[in-house]
Amino acid sequence: MELASGESLAILGPSGSGKSTLLGLLAGLDVPGSGTVELQGRPFSSLNEDDRAARRGELCAFVFQSFHLVADLTARENVMLPMELQHRRDARARADAWLERLGLGERLQHFPAQLSGGEQQRVALARAFAVEPALLFADEPTGSLDHANGARIAELLFDLNRQAGTALVLVTHDEELAGRCDRRLKLREGRLDE
Amino acid sequence: MNSPFRPWRDSVFRVLALSVMLSAVALASVVLLSAELEERFAIHTAEALGGELVLAGSSPPTESQREATRELERARITDFATVLVEGDETLLVSARAVDAAYPLFGELMIADERFGASRPQQSGPPPGEAWAAEQVLDQLGLEVGEPLRLGRKELEISAVIRQEPDQGAGFYSMNPRVLFNLADLEATGVLGPGTRVEYRLLLAGEPAPLERARQALSEDLRPDQELETLEDAAVRSMGPLRQLTLWVSLAVLLVTLLCGAAIYLASSQRVRRRARMAALLRSFGARRRQVLTRLLGGEFIAILPASLLGSLAGIGLILALRGDLGREGGLAADPGDWIVILFGPLLLWLAFGLPRLTALVRVPAMQVLSGRSEARQASLTLELAAALAAPVLLAALLTGSLADLGQLLLLLVAMAVLLPALFWPLLLMLDRGSRRLALPLRLAIRRLSRRPGLTLPLLAALTVAMSVLGLAGQTGNRLLDDWQHRLPERAPNFFVFNLFEEDLDTLSEWLERHDGEEQPAYPVIRGRLVEINDTPVRQALTKYDDRAERTLNRDLVLTETEQLPPSNRMVEGEWLPGRHDHEVTVEEQIANSLELDPGDRVRFVSGTRTLEARVTGIREVDWDSFQPNFFFIFSPGSLDEHDRTWLTSFWLPPGDGARLAELVRAMPHMSLLDVNDMLDRARGIIAQASRATALLAVLLMGAALLVLAAALLSGGDARARDNALLRTLGARRSLLRQVEWLEFTLLGLASALAASLIMLASLWPLAQRLFDGELPWSPWMLLPAALGLLVILAGVTLGRTARRQPPLTLLQTPD
Repeated sequence: MELASGESLAILGPSGSGKSTLLGLLAGLDVPGSGTVELQGRPFSSLNEDDRAARRGELCAFVFQSFHLVADLTARENVMLPMELQHRRDARARADAWLERLGLGERLQHFPAQLSGGEQQRVALARAFAVEPALLFADEPTGSLDHANGARIAELLFDLNRQAGTALVLVTHDEELAGRCDRRLKLREGRLDE
Repeated sequence: MNSPFRPWRDSVFRVLALSVMLSAVALASVVLLSAELEERFAIHTAEALGGELVLAGSSPPTESQREATRELERARITDFATVLVEGDETLLVSARAVDAAYPLFGELMIADERFGASRPQQSGPPPGEAWAAEQVLDQLGLEVGEPLRLGRKELEISAVIRQEPDQGAGFYSMNPRVLFNLADLEATGVLGPGTRVEYRLLLAGEPAPLERARQALSEDLRPDQELETLEDAAVRSMGPLRQLTLWVSLAVLLVTLLCGAAIYLASSQRVRRRARMAALLRSFGARRRQVLTRLLGGEFIAILPASLLGSLAGIGLILALRGDLGREGGLAADPGDWIVILFGPLLLWLAFGLPRLTALVRVPAMQVLSGRSEARQASLTLELAAALAAPVLLAALLTGSLADLGQLLLLLVAMAVLLPALFWPLLLMLDRGSRRLALPLRLAIRRLSRRPGLTLPLLAALTVAMSVLGLAGQTGNRLLDDWQHRLPERAPNFFVFNLFEEDLDTLSEWLERHDGEEQPAYPVIRGRLVEINDTPVRQALTKYDDRAERTLNRDLVLTETEQLPPSNRMVEGEWLPGRHDHEVTVEEQIANSLELDPGDRVRFVSGTRTLEARVTGIREVDWDSFQPNFFFIFSPGSLDEHDRTWLTSFWLPPGDGARLAELVRAMPHMSLLDVNDMLDRARGIIAQASRATALLAVLLMGAALLVLAAALLSGGDARARDNALLRTLGARRSLLRQVEWLEFTLLGLASALAASLIMLASLWPLAQRLFDGELPWSPWMLLPAALGLLVILAGVTLGRTARRQPPLTLLQTPD
């Protein structure tokens, strides 16, 4: 399978079908037993772990079902984190700007435990888009949210994706959410069907 | 339903179980070690007393008394004073007739000739033979192999007696010993009416029959009889041994607290894991009690084997190590110890873990299920009460009393409460200040500052462990050193009595020729105390005191000297302020028994003369010092009118007996006492005590570090998740390593610094009290730093598992 720049792809499938494993392989969090993954035309899955991490930090971003914010860092620091890992000098300014843009300007110094689920996921979105990724991986991004918050996060995700021209890989159960993607792949018994 | 294996599937439970197991190992090994040491001390005391229980009286035990001791090991001895005559020479000796069972504890040291090598002997002389002390041979001009007439019976001198296991410290104030077999006693015919004689029945056995015999005998005592027990003998109050016991008790207490801290930390984590299950049960309609029974019951059943396994490991450890302590036979622990070993770890789990676990039912189920609560709020009062009560209870069980440990315990509890309170604002400041710091340092600080529930108890536990270990090592080592200083390499190994003034120069010259080392010589007379403040002494005393009674019934060795002897310290009044004015200072314990205070007047009778003096001061005397010590020391000149002899001691390098024979020939009237065997024995005890202390320190350090490891592991989940997230976001492994090194360096540094400060603060008053104001610098002061380093290394090593967590787990496990 191939994914073009700016394209959005939904991966659908029942629980246990291997959606998350596929996402892990694509993001270089795991390496395939056979086959290869290439990123921007260059080998990715054949790199060593540290090089994959560095390349992932440079080109990819993530939004997880359970937000995965670092509990010990404030909202601002969580957004700054991937940029700091890239040694970007404007990390703080960009983090503030993105949080402001997502309506969290008043919550910069709050820790994740002090934020609601919707707010935490918005921090996660800010963290993802602040690094201007070429590729965004979203794993059930609305799975832990109520309907209203879920809808709002989905709206934001697709808006930001469109504006930034980021390629999106979305893993979901939600047919409606998948319907908003350019392409849909169904994973069933280890096979991908378009 | 509650399979004991199910909880083991959870890694946090495994950590919790490991904490309980480690506490069990530590508790079992420390309790057993402590019991072994106590047993050693008890044996030491029993050796000094002659038995574990001694019935002494001026006539033999009655038939009913003999019957009451039937279940025990028994040895009979008969002590009396008698005068030996050999040609023109006469000598008052302490004769002792012993049966075949004597000695019950320890061994006799004898030599085959006057200056020959000593060898141990498990029983006394056979019938027809006698063993005589060196002074007896010197004074009467006898040699081994020659006959000795004792009353109507002639015995063959078959050995020189060098040391008896139940020889008291006042060896030079005792008449020289002649030991012979009880079977010969009647034939000597020396025991007539009016002879001062003491029949001693020495007893030993298992605690229960011993206690039965003690009960029965104490109800059946004749007025002339006395029952001496190990407690009465109080040899354990001898300084260094007592310090060692206290150090062992402190070790137990510390291990208990450390394990408690680890169990607390692991339980907190366990609560987070089990909160969802508890919430589910409650949402299905289970009542609080049902939830607790189901969750805690299963937990308890699963903890049991861990606790038992730990106890067994501790027992195994001591069984393996006890050879080093020079002990054989069964373990020394009593039923109380076994209760502590078996139930102590469970008690700890209940006290430190249970209040945390009850938090499972305190938080509304919906909050947990919606992921809005970590179910962490336990009742603080309950937690504090339980956490404080458990170590107090254990310490009480372990030491039998809180009197000795009271202050120490208070200090520890204060530290456990105060330290987190002191660290908390510091941690907050660090948290605030970290905002502008570089990412690795900020992450490291936040891991500590944002988890105060984990960090503060850990910091407190580490600080307490480090400071107490440092302090105990420092003072324990110093006390052992002090003890060793009392027995320097050239400690006097011979004592000389009955010297005349003109002999002193001869002795000095002889010592110089043989590379010996002279000690101060004391003029002595023998005198009996007859009056206090012009009142006959028995009327002057207001209450009966056993020690006073013994003092009044014998001649005391009285001396005069200008300088306060080195092993003496004034505790009240002044050291002979007037000079030549018939002043006297008195040893503290005898002054208490005789109700003497500065200002009192005492009168002694010595031969046909009397000696009067005013008490000017009370002295504390170090009886373990192997120096000549005296109950009464008069001002110089006080003994001028009396027939004085001189007493001194000296050190002589090892060599052949010919030198000593030459000395004895030059001054045939003097008595020479060889204390080399006694010195060797004392040095042996020091060596054993040192080994036990070192072993205990290693054990304690091991326990502290293992428990610390358990505590660090319990926070591993969050650490692993954060590490996986950092990796996912592009962090290299080196960054994770950096963060971990920084985190544990901060932890180790903070606790080592706090421990060093506590050590300095505590050593200051201690230095004033024990070491004459001199702060005892030693390598032990560096112990907190060394332990801090260990904390860093242990933390980084343990963090490795969390660092290796594959990032993929983020996608697979729900938060």
